[in-house]
Amino acid sequence: MKNQNFEIISVAQDTGGVKDAGKWIEAGHPEYTVLIDKQHLVTKLYNMVNVPTAVWINEQGRIVRPNEVGYSSNAGMSITKVDTTNYINGLYDWVKLGEKSAFAMSETELRERLTPQNPDWAMAATEFSLGQYLYQTGQGAAAIPHYKEAQRLNPENWNFKRQAWALSNAEKEYGTSFTKEVQKLNGKPYYVPLRLPEKKK
Amino acid sequence: MHKLSYFFCAALFGLLLTANPQNVAAGNRIVIYDDIATEVVAPPSTLAGVKANDLWVTLADLTRATRFALKPQGVCREQLCFPLPKKRKAEFLSKDGSVTWFNLTEFARLVHQPVAFDSGLSSWYFGLRSEVQNGYLASFKAPNFTLPDKDGKLHSLSDFRGKKVLIVTWASW
Repeated sequence: MKNQNFEIISVAQDTGGVKDAGKWIEAGHPEYTVLIDKQHLVTKLYNMVNVPTAVWINEQGRIVRPNEVGYSSNAGMSITKVDTTNYINGLYDWVKLGEKSAFAMSETELRERLTPQNPDWAMAATEFSLGQYLYQTGQGAAAIPHYKEAQRLNPENWNFKRQAWALSNAEKEYGTSFTKEVQKLNGKPYYVPLRLPEKKK
Repeated sequence: MHKLSYFFCAALFGLLLTANPQNVAAGNRIVIYDDIATEVVAPPSTLAGVKANDLWVTLADLTRATRFALKPQGVCREQLCFPLPKKRKAEFLSKDGSVTWFNLTEFARLVHQPVAFDSGLSSWYFGLRSEVQNGYLASFKAPNFTLPDKDGKLHSLSDFRGKKVLIVTWASW
């Protein structure tokens, strides 16, 4: 889709930077822009709670569709429970038709989907960031209480949880693991289900 | 390069200008502002009006750590200026001898900026002001960011203006 004036920016939310994300970038031989976000800035700026999260932005830099689960294929569907077919078709439709696409959200839809960040979530992002600073300056043990506080203030943010768990022995330091937390969902979807326009007539 | 982008880039190179809590001089503190860590000096115990966990800095350290400066019209950085409420001056400014101290944590409350604090390591992290965090909800303008690729080359979302863009996050964890 590159010749249609369309670009993909893939952003790794990885505290370890190139050390952690690099091998994935090389394995993928991407033709699009891949950036490394050690401070999880994009997660914080766009109020994201998970990966992969995708946002559509038009030629004027305006949001067309905000945060949605952004798998590029159904390869992992048995685990993710996300059927991405209509989302990807919608993306092609928007790239072709622009604002005329049924997938380009109206202001009313955008207003409904974009919720202001509450003070607890803002504080969670700040505690997480202090944890990041301490971890990245070699104070891993001191970082843990701040990661925990971030998780307490914003329990819906999987990025804050999973990054923290990945940086230490999650069972030992947090008394949990990603597998356990997913089991606790008890059938509740891990990703917010996609809400896309009805199929065009 | 634009001054602001310079500082922003420095921050994104993984705390390039980092003051490390392990080698901070005794009694000093660490301020992390715009993801840049700066070591600052602590006020004397005789300074009036200091409450526990508040961070008072000299005006020189204020500018060094945050690029904000005290001006007659308020506390300012480039085009951005926050006037201090006249009746509450004492909550923001305190003098000890010839040195004026500024209450950076009270200023954060004034501008709706969350602050996380680690008492053991005397470190204060200043988060995104709520107007920065929520500014795009009315305009729908995608918040800009500047980040490096794996070779360290910087890219900004704004470089892609004129094209349709799909941002997609991922992680190795």
